Amino acid sequence: MPGRGHAHPRARVVARLVLVPAVLLALLAGTAGGLVRAGIVLPASGAWLGQAVLGHAFLMICAFMGTVIGIERAVAVRQPLAFAAPLASASAGVLHLAGAAHAATWVAAAAALAFVAVNMLVVARQRAAHTVLLLTGALAWLAGNGLLVAGASPSAVIPWWFSFLVLTIAAERLEMTRLMRRHQGASQMLYAILAAMLLGSALSAVSPQWGGLLYGASLAGLAAWLLAFDIARRTVRTRGLSRYMAVCLLLGYFWLAVSGLAWCMSSLGLPARDAALHALALGFVFSMMLGHAPVILPAVARVKLLFGWAFYLPLLLLHGSLAVRLLARHADLGSLAAGAAGNALAMALFAATLAGSAIAWRVRHAPSHTPSTGSHDDAVAAP
Amino acid sequence: MTAAATTPPYPYVGPEALRQPIEEALQRVVDPEVAMTIVDVGLVYGVTVTDERLHVLLTMTSAACPVTDVIVEEVELELEGAAPRTMRVDVELVWEPAWSTDRMSPRAKAFMGW
Repeated sequence: MPGRGHAHPRARVVARLVLVPAVLLALLAGTAGGLVRAGIVLPASGAWLGQAVLGHAFLMICAFMGTVIGIERAVAVRQPLAFAAPLASASAGVLHLAGAAHAATWVAAAAALAFVAVNMLVVARQRAAHTVLLLTGALAWLAGNGLLVAGASPSAVIPWWFSFLVLTIAAERLEMTRLMRRHQGASQMLYAILAAMLLGSALSAVSPQWGGLLYGASLAGLAAWLLAFDIARRTVRTRGLSRYMAVCLLLGYFWLAVSGLAWCMSSLGLPARDAALHALALGFVFSMMLGHAPVILPAVARVKLLFGWAFYLPLLLLHGSLAVRLLARHADLGSLAAGAAGNALAMALFAATLAGSAIAWRVRHAPSHTPSTGSHDDAVAAP
Repeated sequence: MTAAATTPPYPYVGPEALRQPIEEALQRVVDPEVAMTIVDVGLVYGVTVTDERLHVLLTMTSAACPVTDVIVEEVELELEGAAPRTMRVDVELVWEPAWSTDRMSPRAKAFMGW
């Protein structure tokens, strides 16, 4: 709409020109680093690739997810200053790839600090359980980045980073479960599970075994809670975009449970670390992202998308390749590389699907100024 | 799209002739996350129509909702299609009183298993 006072066009221009390339860089470099870790030889070289291999988790969680979530929150609070958080986290990724890894950790800590401030603003505006959980998630990110600056080991840092992502998602799902009839004690149960997760994160620094067990158990508990109380079990019976989003959520909850189990196994010394990390990062977090991108992207990037069945293809590839990676691994060592390649291909296919759906929307709305064609209306009604 | 309900979904002040077209326009704005229209979720707090202005009070279930602007724009787009051309469409986002499940329509409650 022309002349919307709240749209912050300048902030959006900054977001497009600076943040979009930095987000893509973090994703691509982080993915490249992950592929090399999985044993794939890439047709690329350079110091950056070494940095990407070393900083795979940092790039994926702090520079990519942290920036995406930071942008999402900045758009929600409608405050241009809030873009400082994603700008900092995106810069941290660039710095890391440029070889300034230590400086990158400080900038990432500053990003998390700014993000905490943004979430305090959200809580000040709406004091509710889900906004407090969002703030708690931001604090978990800050804790992880603080430990990183202090030179803590990955086993101490990674649980905090995932707690940031999991709390962010849990907060958004809790907000949705408000639409369902409140089950007695359901909220308290969720808070207990999330408190156990935070305790597990903290404990992981001193006792990886006990911390890991508690952390894994809390992830499995959260999966059970979400399967029991989330609206996805109802919205999956609808159609179009709503059903697709629900499918993404439900598949994500399955992998969250797998991750919890694998996290416990890994803590007990069993070879399940890749499953613990990637069932959570790819199966749960990325599945959430695939589900929400068709609604979030139009909001943050001002791109209209036409939803269609093609969105199920990258989703199928993501979960299929993850299953190959994690479940077939014991039968065949090559399945780790094959699965990881499939994971990366799924992301590329998803990017292509988004581009295609943006073009499809433009084609559909080519004779401009046809009134009464809301994008969600189309999106939901599309086959 | 049934607009009929025993109790109106939101307070409406304005010409009777526009009541239904406006409600139908608002019913076309769907929140895909919950698979329901903004009217069914109870996000519309009120509609006031004067000669030159169509004023809508709208809320969101969360202050951290990044899709807010998209929904507001869709409401504007739909209402501009439903209202007389000379009328200015004015969608105002409000946070007080906070949204609660009491605002959900019977249809929405049935869908969510109440």
